[in-house]
Amino acid sequence: MKELTASELARRILHLIVSLFILLCVTFVIGRVLPSDPVGAIVGELADPAAYEAMRTRLGLDLPLYQQFFIYLQGLFRGDFGQAILTGNSVASDMLQAFPATFELATLAVIISAVVGVPLGLAAALFRDSFVDKFARVVALVGHSTPVFWFGIVGLVIFYAALDWVGGPGRIDVFYEGMVEPVTGMLLVDSLLAGETEIFWNALSHIILPAAILAYMAMAYITRMTRSFTLEQLSQDYVIAARAKGAGPARTVAHHVLPNIAVQLITVLAISYGNLLEGAVVTEIVFSWPGIGQYMTNALMIGDMNAVLAATIIVGFVFMLLNFIADIAYAVLDPRTREVAR
Amino acid sequence: MKHFSKGLIAGAAAIVLNFAAPTVNAATPEDQLVIGTSLAQVLSLDPQQATEAKAIEIMSNLYDRLVKTEDRKIAPQLAESWEIDDKGITFHLRDATFASGNPVTADDVVYSLGRLTKLDQASAANFKRIGYKADNVDKLVKAVDPKTVRIELSGETTAELLLYRLAMNVASIVDSVEVKKHVENNDYGNAWLRTNSAGSGPFTLKRWTPNEMVIIEANDKYVGGAPHMRRVIVRHVPESQVARLMLERNDIDIASALSAADLKTFEGQQGFEVQRVPTGGFYVLSMNAGNPYLANPKVRKAIAYSIDYKGIEQTIMGPYGRVRNVPVPEDYEYAIPNPDWHFDAAKAKALLAEAGYPDGFSLTLKTIAQTPRIDLATAIQGSLGQVGIKVDIQQGNGSDIIADHRARNFDLLIPQTGAYMPNVLGAMEQFSSNPDNSKEANNAGNFVWRSAWDIPELTVLTAKASLEPDAKKRGALYVEMQEKFVEQKPAVLPLFERFEPIVVNSRVKDYVGHPSLLTRLEGVTKASD
Repeated sequence: MKELTASELARRILHLIVSLFILLCVTFVIGRVLPSDPVGAIVGELADPAAYEAMRTRLGLDLPLYQQFFIYLQGLFRGDFGQAILTGNSVASDMLQAFPATFELATLAVIISAVVGVPLGLAAALFRDSFVDKFARVVALVGHSTPVFWFGIVGLVIFYAALDWVGGPGRIDVFYEGMVEPVTGMLLVDSLLAGETEIFWNALSHIILPAAILAYMAMAYITRMTRSFTLEQLSQDYVIAARAKGAGPARTVAHHVLPNIAVQLITVLAISYGNLLEGAVVTEIVFSWPGIGQYMTNALMIGDMNAVLAATIIVGFVFMLLNFIADIAYAVLDPRTREVAR
Repeated sequence: MKHFSKGLIAGAAAIVLNFAAPTVNAATPEDQLVIGTSLAQVLSLDPQQATEAKAIEIMSNLYDRLVKTEDRKIAPQLAESWEIDDKGITFHLRDATFASGNPVTADDVVYSLGRLTKLDQASAANFKRIGYKADNVDKLVKAVDPKTVRIELSGETTAELLLYRLAMNVASIVDSVEVKKHVENNDYGNAWLRTNSAGSGPFTLKRWTPNEMVIIEANDKYVGGAPHMRRVIVRHVPESQVARLMLERNDIDIASALSAADLKTFEGQQGFEVQRVPTGGFYVLSMNAGNPYLANPKVRKAIAYSIDYKGIEQTIMGPYGRVRNVPVPEDYEYAIPNPDWHFDAAKAKALLAEAGYPDGFSLTLKTIAQTPRIDLATAIQGSLGQVGIKVDIQQGNGSDIIADHRARNFDLLIPQTGAYMPNVLGAMEQFSSNPDNSKEANNAGNFVWRSAWDIPELTVLTAKASLEPDAKKRGALYVEMQEKFVEQKPAVLPLFERFEPIVVNSRVKDYVGHPSLLTRLEGVTKASD
């Protein structure tokens, strides 16, 4: 890790842009080469050839690939992602609608996973090979190896259908639909802004299960990483010295371990956040969650490549941005990384 | 440590309970109907554009048409009465108003039918086929006075068959005053009408969020009086198991996209009713007659004897379909009885040997990965294997498989159809007309063309039937068409008459699925818990 100079920062931003461009190219080519037929999907199974051709021309699909790509790029620079076949709206406005739903879900999930995962990892390391450690390892293993789809259905059967503890699929009960005007697009925030606490609770009861299930997936990773970071610190001389002087586990963690692993944890949380945005795809389908994952899946089904491209680019961009921020944070917050480079 | 874990569990339970406390899980309100389905393919709610099944179900409640079909007969809707003569039909409109408050006039009818043909989307195909096109519609459809409309016959249809087409969703009457306010770049208001409604039906469109929900609200200006349901919410629930849970939890009242396994759990379950809504359409085995094996009628006949229809009906189709090898539902007037095609391996093998393939051959079978088509494909693979035809299944999503079908790029493929009119012609036309089978014709909109099945005689017969004004003579032609179809060993082999199974909570009364997807909800009521 080099020192964070202006030129280094510029290099990284350039790197980010190049990665994004490569992602764009690959997705575009795959999208156009796939044997799907968006025109057929729009005009219907039994449309006559004239209507079919007219639509093909309207979508610009009769042009050579490089021209299509060029036109797409031009639009992109104007912030225009093209028109979505799926909804007829501009893809950009669809994204503004779908992204907050996913963002809200992933954010709550990352909070839950950090709040539960970090202490669990710390405890597992502090009480190595004890019951807590074994428990944490089992939790992490199960979370890591079970499909989120299965968890989603089982979670619904238990907590929604059998126990009636949480709200069902969707973001809110139907009779509250349309009662809160979207401001941020995040229902929890919007309902509070509108002073509708009843709706807030209802929305919370709907989001808690999918968020918890998503969080569990991330938690498995966070717990494992926290445990190994902590173990590494615990074997350091300064910790051994502190413990020898009589510092209890709580003090050791709070004063010695946590500050030293904080930067590494930020990286882990950033990566988890990115993964959660991706992982939201399956969760959204199980929970009828109208976010970017569901939007992208439906768009793929009908070959709506403008929508798929935009969703890929946005998720890819957020993912890269998170990594970028984590990297910068690393360089800024951890003086050691700079010294090592010297 | 024990304390710690106990504390953890207690804490977690407390958190969950806390969250759960404010949610009292009530059933859906009495004046709201909630339908769970997949909205993935709803791309537009403009009646002169959208042709997707779920979109039609929604639009049929936003708009009225001149006439409707009831028990497969034409009945009045916006037109109170009409007179038919040799040259055309004169309609007299009832005193209805649009949701905007504007009266429904002859101008609206003229505008709507003109809009259909001039927008010229796939939805116009059924009218273009009988000679109503953008360049002649202004001459053929005219306002006589504010409450009278005259539609001239185009010369390519009879009055009766025209009436059936006027009952289709695409012929919905839109509020021309309202729509004209929203025209941009000569789009006939399409950009606006895709996501708004301007009709005289019992409901108006309140909100459509793609992949999330459609909300329609009661139209208190509806000519029949405001409907019982204050609003109807159609929710996107793409996962069948999830829809099932929601139905059991009373969070939705009707589910219409359940898998066969989930449907089964509702059969005979108290509190729920499983409805089989007829579609007039079929699950079909399309054989590409461009393939040298399948070009041979003997091979096609052998395949017809290689499918265990009865077995598949019992084990796979269940509520989705019943055996039928003629493309006309068996309870339609003039429907002929089924040919004697049943699973007979010995006979099929003999036919294959006769055709010159005693050792069989290999084919691919393409299908959309969707219930029940995917299970149907597996069953066909199994039984064809028994007579020596090795089948490889390729599954895909709608856009790939439809594209392959349109491009004649398959050996075998399982499409599904629906009748656009509840009579022999409406059910059969897709199966019996292929005016130009050449590859250059590129008539991918034609169902038979896609199978490269050349049927000049049947095509002529179909055209003749659509122009025969005498009902009795037309009936005789209908019978002849079906007999000829069977005789030619169809390359578009109907397997099962298709039903759309839906599960309805018993609280919901008078929900009656319409065979052309035009289910109206104004009469639906809900009992209290």
